[in-house]
Order: sequence, then structure tokens, then C-alpha cells
Amino acid sequence: MTLKISNFYVEEVRMGTVTQFDGHVLTIDKEAAIRFLMDSDCHITDVDILIARPGDDTRIVPVKEAVEIRFRPDGRALFPGITGDLAACGEGELYALKGCSILGVGKHWGSFGDGLIDMGGIGADLTIFSKLINICLVIDTDEEFERHEQQKQNHAIRWATHRFAEYLGKVLEGKTATDCEDICFTPLGKREASMFQLPSIVLVMQAQSQMEDLGYNALLYGWDMNRYLPSFISPTEILDGAILSGSFMPSSSKWSTYDFQNFPTIKELLKKHGTELNFLGIILSNLNVSLEQKERSAIMVVNMAKTLGADGAIVTEEGYGNPDADYVKCLIKLKKAGIQAVGISNECTGRDGMSQPLVVMDPELDALVSTGNVSQLIELPPCKTVIGELQALSRDGLSGGWSFDENLGPSIRNDGSIILENNAMFCGDQVAGWSRKMMKEF
Amino acid sequence: MRIVHYINQFFAGLGGEASAEVEPYAAPAPIGPSLAFNAELKDGVITKTIVCGDNYFASHTKEAVSKLIAILEKEDFDIFIAGPAFQAGRYGFACGTMCNAVKDYFQKPVFTSMHEENPGVEMFKRDIIIFRGGKSAAAMRQDVSAVASHVDRYIQGLSPLGAEEEKYFERGIRHQIYDPQYATAAERGVAMLLAKMKGEKYQTELPVPEKENVPIAEAVKNIAKARIALITTGGIVPVENPDRIQSASATRWGRYNISEMDTLKKGEFKTIHAGFDPAAANEDPNRIMPVDTMKELLHTHKFGSLHAYFYSTVGTGTTEKEARRMAKEMIPYIKEDQVDAVLLVST
Repeated sequence: MTLKISNFYVEEVRMGTVTQFDGHVLTIDKEAAIRFLMDSDCHITDVDILIARPGDDTRIVPVKEAVEIRFRPDGRALFPGITGDLAACGEGELYALKGCSILGVGKHWGSFGDGLIDMGGIGADLTIFSKLINICLVIDTDEEFERHEQQKQNHAIRWATHRFAEYLGKVLEGKTATDCEDICFTPLGKREASMFQLPSIVLVMQAQSQMEDLGYNALLYGWDMNRYLPSFISPTEILDGAILSGSFMPSSSKWSTYDFQNFPTIKELLKKHGTELNFLGIILSNLNVSLEQKERSAIMVVNMAKTLGADGAIVTEEGYGNPDADYVKCLIKLKKAGIQAVGISNECTGRDGMSQPLVVMDPELDALVSTGNVSQLIELPPCKTVIGELQALSRDGLSGGWSFDENLGPSIRNDGSIILENNAMFCGDQVAGWSRKMMKEF
Repeated sequence: MRIVHYINQFFAGLGGEASAEVEPYAAPAPIGPSLAFNAELKDGVITKTIVCGDNYFASHTKEAVSKLIAILEKEDFDIFIAGPAFQAGRYGFACGTMCNAVKDYFQKPVFTSMHEENPGVEMFKRDIIIFRGGKSAAAMRQDVSAVASHVDRYIQGLSPLGAEEEKYFERGIRHQIYDPQYATAAERGVAMLLAKMKGEKYQTELPVPEKENVPIAEAVKNIAKARIALITTGGIVPVENPDRIQSASATRWGRYNISEMDTLKKGEFKTIHAGFDPAAANEDPNRIMPVDTMKELLHTHKFGSLHAYFYSTVGTGTTEKEARRMAKEMIPYIKEDQVDAVLLVST
């Protein structure tokens, strides 16, 4: 499979009378854009579009989703099965607008998996989205059935971000890219014998699927991953919009759709493919809650890795707590099958740093990369501007925010400064592979 | 900042074994290793040296601690340092015990230094910062310097650099650090896997400690005469939760008399555990703490007798350290009643 990603770099985003990209500046006709979003979903009752730039004294919360703006010259939907008809991903041409993202932000209401982004100050170190120009869709909806639920599907807001990425992507039509990534992923049966002299490696991705009810989990070609069994998939499919982020996991552990589109661990394996290793592809698994489901998925992952002839594997999970059982089970079973394995995930060592880092601690786990501590306490000063609604952090059950604590007080203080657990930093543990955080003993 | 320093009789210049029975006292001015500390410290100063003989401390620990605390109560100080104790076992025990006592009583920062083979390391490393010291007094200068530079950083309000950099024993306290200089997790993961596959050296970022397996208890020899006690981590308590046991990350526990009841009644007992759906447990508390079944078995003489209390705390998020401490607090009551076996019921 060959995927050609043509990259365009945006230096500034501003509002104007026509939606266009001049090679440097993205201009959005706000009125037309709002009309498009309102017209495409009758559940959206209010939209505003605001721009947040790196270094701004701006706090964004509750953030539900992030997407990179892209365009397909051949007319296929950007997210097949979601923004248009089903079609194959992973091959062909794709245009990507780099340096910015679209954020889906609640005008008022937050939920368990929503997060917070600080564009400036010390909070900016704790999420990669502070380094991007963020086009914030601040939306209210009439989804009354979940208005006061802690778990929300956030359907209208999430789908708006996906649609809007496709809508804005059209500005790239007919434009010349700055640079281009040619990802030529040769089918396994067609590879030169010399490739197999290199260590053959698979990536096992465990996407979020813990909710038994549909509508909250990651979607593969529009299919809910709770009703799914592990499958073999090309890395180009993941980078090309085959999979969309869900709306359940505490935010710092989450893989947003932007993460899937740019997944750093996939990119790193592709970079070394052909020189240091032979990247066999991805076994995409899930994180269902019952033990039998965990066992079944782990069996299938390991058998697939064996059948593919993997010598080594990287396992990475979108979550912590209950999903640690899947993560550890896969790592141990791979080891027992003679496949060397490394895990990439975050830890939960508690506010005092003294809790057991993973739910399952097996002494056989001998090679783990740690990307952060979900329960690290973080204090951040007030920001001049808030996009969304700050109260959501303490009011709406965001993991990592609270309304009452006998020792710490509420998450939001009168002066606008906040105290929260890292859990609420939007995709903060950057488990997809961005993380420049490490865990240390103190 | 003012620092009080604890040393033993040997380093106070009183000699070795012959003076090891010396009772606690405060030296009129800083002496011995305190002077070495004062030469190294940039921002703090040892204002008082307190001394106790190692034998006296080991054989009269309670008295020694309370006499030393009494001396400290008259002292205006901000930080407490003990040792370095090198490989000296009794001295290490005294340094660790005093650090713990001062930390608990005065809520002030405490530091000591020991060699890794000093038994005090295993006893106290989870509770206090113990620097990795040398075997003997020949290492005095470098051991003092390691402690002093940490204390200076503390006084200057700088964040600690971590156990590895500052050379103290890991306490099982893990926090995240962001550094733009770090490689990304993706780079670290792929490099680790390639190193592992080539058989090269690599360092896991989450070392998994060897399991401290508790051996399985021997079978009860004569169950017909055995006295049984019940403990749960499932959070069953009287509805008013009189001991204010926390719903997660518990540090408190309670014991409740069941000698006059044949069952735990709904409405009188409930669970306060936040880690599972409480509906079934609140409907029938015996589902977690099976008092009804145990009484039935007792009345039909399936075992000898039932301890008058059940013990309860909450297991979710509770650290091993706290669990260990709570168990140690429960054990004397259970031993006193000559209990033969404990049924530990979880959730």
C-alpha cells in the first residue's frame, strides 16, 4: 500500500469574508462556516469559532476531540463511514494542513473524558495541542438525554469536528504542497528476502472500547470497537482516517483523532523500516472489560503476531486502570510465545506518587516506557481568556477535576487559578508516542 | 534555617562499646560530624547536636525516643538530620527510628545516610529519605556532602532532582517530569525494543519489584476447636461509619462487635467502598462480610468459636504501605484473643 501525504504548513488562521489558504494564512468565512455546521446537524443549537494560538494566555475546556484538517483529491470521504460513504483507507493521495487542529469544545457542558488545554505558561508543557493553532468549535447542543450525565457520547460536537476538518480541507484543492511523505508499505508477501534479515516487528494498538453501550468507543470504519475482534491492519490505514477517537477515557490517556492521524509510534517504526527493522504492520486490538473478552483478544493478538512471523512487538494501550489487564496480558503472552515485547503506556501512581503504577504488576514485565502519571496534581495560574466554560472542570465530572475536596478545595478557585489531576489534561500523557515526560523516583 | 543533628556516642567522641549505654543528652555546642555538615552547608546551620548511646537506644527505644523528643521540644529548628550511620546496624536503627519519630511528631523534614547493607535501610527506606552512604567513616566527607547539598536545595526551595541523581534510596514515590530534552516515548519505545532484541543493555522505565509473596498459612489442625476472625477490605461498616474510613485510598480501619448478632442487617451495615457498585452489598451486607454463614457454621459446630469483632477497611487505591500498617495494628487484638485463623474476605 502506498499513501502519499502532501503537507501544507499554516502560519496563521484568521476570520475573513472568504474561506481560503494562500500558502501561509488560512482564512475562514465564519458566517458560512457556522451555517455549514448548523445545517449539517439539527442537534447543534449554537456555534462559535474562536482561534487560540501558541503562547496565548488562553485556557480551553471542556475539549472533546481534536482533528487535523485534510483533503482527498479523489473525492473519498475524509473519514469513511462517518463523514461520507464507506471507502478504503490507506492508499492514494492525501493533503494535510500542518500546524493547526480543529478542537471540539463544549460551550457549557463537560463529561468524564473531556480535557483542558493551556496555550501558554507552565500548563502548555503538558499537552501537544498548545503548540498548534487551534480552531475551536465552541458548540452547544440539544442532546438533553445526556445533559447531566457524567458519560456523554458528545455525538454532535465530535461529528462537527470531523465534518469541519473535511470542509476546511477543501481550501487545499489544486494547491502545491511544501513537502510530501511517501509511505510505501510493501505487502508482506512481496518483500525482498533481505528485509527479513532485519528484526520483524508488529505494533499492537489497543484502542478504547470499554463502554458496553454503543456510541462512546473508538470507531473503525464507523464500527464500534466494543463489538470487534483484533484485526491486522496497515499503518497507512490508521494514518489515513480509518479510525476515530471515542468519548470515554479520562482525557490524559486518550488518543484523539489527531493522534491517530499522526501516530508518532507508527511514524517512528516507518522511519526505521528497511534500515533497522522490518515493520510488519499493526494488530489493532481493543480494551473490553470482561475477563473472557480480554483473554480472547490477547489470544488473537498473539496468534496473529506468530502467524505474521513477528520477532518483536510494541504494545500500547489507550487507557489505564481496567485496560492495564489487557496491556499486561498481551505483553506476557507475547513473551511466552517467544516474541520480545516493549510496552508504551502511562501510570497511575496516585497524588502522592506511592500507589501501584499499573493495576497488574507482573515481574515478567521487563521493558516498559512510561509516558506520565494520570493522578499527578497540577496547579495552574488563572488565564486571561477562557474558551468554553471553566466551571465544567469542577462541575461536570471531568476525570481530574472536582467540586469538593476536604484538603485541596474545589478545582477552580475564586481568582480563576485551578488545581487538577493530570487526568484532565487533554491527551496529556501523549501515549500515542509524543510524550517527552518520564517517571522518576523521588 | 536551623538544623538539629543526631549522632551516637562514638561520633560524639565518647568511645565505642564502653560508652554505648550513654543516655540521651544535648551537647553544649555542635560537635563531630555536625562540624563537617556546617562546613558543607551553604544555607542552613546545625545549631544543636543531640547524642545517645547505641546500646541504650536499642534496648530502651521508647525511653530514648521520648527523652530525645523532650530535648527537641525546647529547640527551635526547621530540619532534622541523623548520622551518617554507614554500616553500623544499631546506629542505623537509631537514626531511622529518630527520623521517623521527628517526622511524625514535629512534621519537619528529616534526612539520614546509611550504607546499603545497613539493616536500617530495609526498615526505614519507604518512610524517610536515606542517602546511599559509604561503608565506614572513611566516607564521612562525601556522605555529608550528599545530604548537605540536598538540604541546601530544600532550603532554596528548589525541586528535588530525584533519587537516582541525588543518590538516595528509592522510596516507591514516582512522579512525572517533563523535559523538552527527553526523547519522545515513540523514540524511546522503538530504541528499547531494538536494544532488547539485539541483547544489548536497556533500562525499563517502570521497574517491577519482585513480588513480596506472603507464604500460604499452614492448614488449621483442629477446625472443630479453632477460633476464627473475619477481616474485609470490602468497606462494610455500621451505616454511620463511626471510624470515618475513607471510600478509597484508606488509611483508617474499624472493628465492630458481632457477638450479639446472627447476621449483618440491611440498614444497620453498608459498604463505603468506592470501587464497585454498592447496591448488592447494601441490600445484604453479608454478601461481603459473611457473618450469617459463619454464625450458622458456628451453631452447627463446624468450627470452635468466632472472634467477637470483625475488622474492616477499604482496599481500593490503598497503598501496600498503609495496608501493612493497618494489618499490624489489627494483629495485637487478634493475637490477644488467641485466634487460630483469619478469614480475609475481599470484594
